[in-house]
Amino acid sequence: MASSVAIVQVRPANPALQFLKLMPGVLLLAGVGYAGKLLEVNVGKYAKAHHWTFPNIEYVLWAILLGLLISNTVGVPEIFRAGVATYEFWLKAGIVLLGARFLLGDVLKLGGTSLALVAIEIIGAIAFMTFLGRVFKLKPKLTSLLAVGSAVCGVSAIIATQGAIDADEEDSSFAIAAILALGALSLFTFPLIGHSLHLTDHAYGVWSGLAVDNTAEAAAAGALYSDAAGKLAVLTKTTRNALIGFVVLAYAFYWASRGQAQAVGNKAKFLWQKFPKFVLGFLLISTLATFAFFSKEQIGALANLSRWAFLLTFAGVGLRTNFRTLSKQGLKPFLVGAIGEVAIAGFTLGLVLAAQRIFGW
Amino acid sequence: MSQEAAVVAKPKRFSLDTWAVLLAFTLAALVRAGVFKHIPW
Repeated sequence: MASSVAIVQVRPANPALQFLKLMPGVLLLAGVGYAGKLLEVNVGKYAKAHHWTFPNIEYVLWAILLGLLISNTVGVPEIFRAGVATYEFWLKAGIVLLGARFLLGDVLKLGGTSLALVAIEIIGAIAFMTFLGRVFKLKPKLTSLLAVGSAVCGVSAIIATQGAIDADEEDSSFAIAAILALGALSLFTFPLIGHSLHLTDHAYGVWSGLAVDNTAEAAAAGALYSDAAGKLAVLTKTTRNALIGFVVLAYAFYWASRGQAQAVGNKAKFLWQKFPKFVLGFLLISTLATFAFFSKEQIGALANLSRWAFLLTFAGVGLRTNFRTLSKQGLKPFLVGAIGEVAIAGFTLGLVLAAQRIFGW
Repeated sequence: MSQEAAVVAKPKRFSLDTWAVLLAFTLAALVRAGVFKHIPW
């Protein structure tokens, strides 16, 4: 008996409704970010008026702290969650707009140096995390996810690799939790280490971009040090992000060759699918700025738009970090991640100090 | 004749990355066209 199969396409919900669903969370991001900005100005003024000795805390840290406070006390109510999750969208739009502040020559020069450091970092990080995974007897695919997350670019790389190597969702959430928890810690430790070693803005920015795994945390760790360090952290991290496709492709081949993942068909299509498109957007805006497509005032306006987009991102970093949820994900992957991250941070710091001496940063 | 219904989610036209790039380009175009003359910080 013949049977027919009807393919029913599920239409996404009404776009206007979806947009409205995001609004409360986006407004919360804006509110928390703007409160951080107000606190930076007013706490400093208040302390000065009362002759208190109070460190100048940047809006970046205030926004993250306020977000952490909300997320870890009252929690983020359901109505805000979809909008809060857009923080990565604002990050990517902010990175593209940041391109206006870089001339293409600088991008190629800095990017070229960063690319060499990034290549060394990726190889070193993958080798060390794979070794640690074996020592701690983690599941091989979980080890692969942790290695990709710490070598390339955190959450996006883990999600991309999970699909490519047919890893369990549970492994993926372990790896993401470890990377996020360690990213949150780096926000507080990196600036302290940078200041204690008297790193220049350039050296610190490159170090943050090389060693902090998730792009939002890398941008925040850089901006916590200085505006210039923030710019370089984003540029270095973007160089790392650009290599995501190649690393995921290599892992997909490895697991397919062992019969534990689907074979990759069209390699060029695979690379294009995994390639972060915002890197191209960043390069295009930088090219337009180089050829004087924007006036000086317009570049200033684009830089400020980029700062507003980052403000929403930093608020989101705090709001989506819940230490209780992260601690439930198990100690072993976290321990492997922590040992690996400390080793990678030390290794990349050594690379940056050597580069600082060679290139006179 | 039996009929089975397979539910297939309609693929998204653009990724999050692409939407972010489109938003950034739109803002850059508006700044270039002089619609946004000054963005305060």
